[in-house]
Amino acid sequence: MQMKDKINIWIVVAAAAVAEIWALYVVSASAARWQPTMIVENEPQARALYEAMLEAARRAQTLSYRSICSGPDSEPSACTVRLKKPNLVRVDLTNGMSTKVTTVLADGDRFRIFWSSDRPFLKVDDFARYEQTQSNVYVDMACSPDIDVLSEMTRLGVAWSNLIWSPRLFFGGADEFEPYIDGIRLRGGNEIHGEACDVIEVSYVKAQRMRHYWLSREDHLPRRIKEIVRLADNHVVVEEWWRVEIDSSIPNEQFAWSPPEGYRVWNPPSLDEFLLEPGTEAPGFELSSASGNTIRLADFQGRVVWLCIWRVGSPACRDEVRYLQSLHGKAKDKGLVILGVNVADDRRIAQTFLRDEGITFPCVLDSSKEAASLLVEGYGVKFDSPPVGFVIGADGKVVDAWSGFDENHARALAALHAAGVSDLGG
Amino acid sequence: MRAYELIRETYFRRSYIWIAHLTWLLMYGVYWWSIVPTKTETTGKFILFGSGLFLALTLSAGILGDDIASGRICVLVTKPFWTGKLYLFRWIGLSLQAAVHLLLTGVLLSVLDWLTPRNSIDGIGVWLLASWLLFNTVAALSTSLSVVLGRAFNSLLLLVVFIAGYLLVNILIGLLRGEAGAGWLTAFVRYAWPPFELLRKFAEGEYGPYSLTVGRFSLSKSVACVVHSLILTCVYGAVGMSLLCRRQFSRVRD
Repeated sequence: MQMKDKINIWIVVAAAAVAEIWALYVVSASAARWQPTMIVENEPQARALYEAMLEAARRAQTLSYRSICSGPDSEPSACTVRLKKPNLVRVDLTNGMSTKVTTVLADGDRFRIFWSSDRPFLKVDDFARYEQTQSNVYVDMACSPDIDVLSEMTRLGVAWSNLIWSPRLFFGGADEFEPYIDGIRLRGGNEIHGEACDVIEVSYVKAQRMRHYWLSREDHLPRRIKEIVRLADNHVVVEEWWRVEIDSSIPNEQFAWSPPEGYRVWNPPSLDEFLLEPGTEAPGFELSSASGNTIRLADFQGRVVWLCIWRVGSPACRDEVRYLQSLHGKAKDKGLVILGVNVADDRRIAQTFLRDEGITFPCVLDSSKEAASLLVEGYGVKFDSPPVGFVIGADGKVVDAWSGFDENHARALAALHAAGVSDLGG
Repeated sequence: MRAYELIRETYFRRSYIWIAHLTWLLMYGVYWWSIVPTKTETTGKFILFGSGLFLALTLSAGILGDDIASGRICVLVTKPFWTGKLYLFRWIGLSLQAAVHLLLTGVLLSVLDWLTPRNSIDGIGVWLLASWLLFNTVAALSTSLSVVLGRAFNSLLLLVVFIAGYLLVNILIGLLRGEAGAGWLTAFVRYAWPPFELLRKFAEGEYGPYSLTVGRFSLSKSVACVVHSLILTCVYGAVGMSLLCRRQFSRVRD
């Protein structure tokens, strides 16, 4: 073979290699990794389809459907959902292969959960409590008419794969992510169980959460909803609907239930019950910061620390982080350190949020297993209920710990006061 | 002239080749009549696997192995003839057969749709293109195996590997769920093996229940799929040609 032929062959091989690298980059630059380009812009036609779904749900007097929720990493949950205006909700669900039925009822006054036999082990359980409360119990709580049944179910971990479509939409309300919609676009047509559907993509919180709706061209209600939540890993849940009935007759008796004799009310524990108790030494840590440096709790020894565990995708956390930033300037002079801890999110998403919000207080961004186990085992954050706050005194001991967002920050300010930090203002 | 003869030979080298083509077309006809009304994607997947995989294995059975085993290869590769051309023209012959076959499939489905519009064939052209690309890749892999495996063992081995491999890989991915190994295994199967998944998505779009995106492939992604498929075909072909050129052939029958 002549030199010229060899050169030509190598040129062809090099060109093919470049083309293959490009092809692999394009086909594998999948949605697995978050990119700012994933944020969807509004398309009027897609927005109209989304509005039509809301309108169809709001116009109906009753709505019932069966659904299966599943994910690539979780066992499926099968549900029968019945909704009736003005505020009646009934969800019967089974998890995996189990025949044990969990029934959730809400009537705008009471929120109840009961089981067809012993209740299963839930996310909020520990073994000691479970053994004492597994039989002949039901949950009974007062609730407001606009209760978010899904949030309550998610908090307790009733379904192994969570439902996505909130019954609040049927009652004219909005789900908690509605205010965070970036945009909606049309993604073509597709069939679900032989039914022609329009597919729309809705992006929330700068594409940290995406939902794909397959909306029936007949009644505009979903036949499939897929939710992708981009945390350190991607979490996918799919809710498939069938036997959708609008304005069919559902007797009110189906929403009523009386506990059998001998049954007692079980109050599920709140996250606060597991958190480190006041007076306990706060476990030290050494974790990665948002800027790539290392943050050690020991670095703040001798100062009061308000440690806040947060997540980008939680509306309450976003409000809490904004409030903490407003406090950060004043805190320096008062011997208070604001310290954010995020062990859940994709690093790029969290960094983008911090940059966009102008957050300057030190923040841990570490999604390693060590960081997660520190929170679970060290700080007692047993399950998701963000934001979670700890005030750690100058002596390194916990002054107080709580979960959830309080607009007045009364508990936090009281704990800071007890730790010797005051005059921070609202 | 020799090129034409080698290409033409692939159409006539075994008597079952015409029977295979007719059987496959008949199968698509029966499918059209017997399956409950269905959408293009279902018909498309049937053609993708029917023609892209199984027809490719059937037509390429012993494509070079027959000649090597019979000793006829010594006649075919007499100088001045680069041995690699034997591979090339045989593969081109297979590819042309698939092109004609898929064109006929398209015509058949159009006629059936005109006579009895019970199923959808909107966008079937993309499925036929995907099937042809898959056919080329599988045929190249099978032809390369035919250099080292006698008679029809190339297709047989690939059939076993595809079926057993599919089961094994799924089990392994299930066992390694969440581990880095599962990612590597998935990437290997997706990008180094014939691109079943990519070409299916190329034709269908991504509407899978757990896929991270939804909708039809963009133009750049579609082009990338085609490019990857063609390059993979070339790589399989280059390996086969290289093996063929290095082999010493004897007139003695195996």
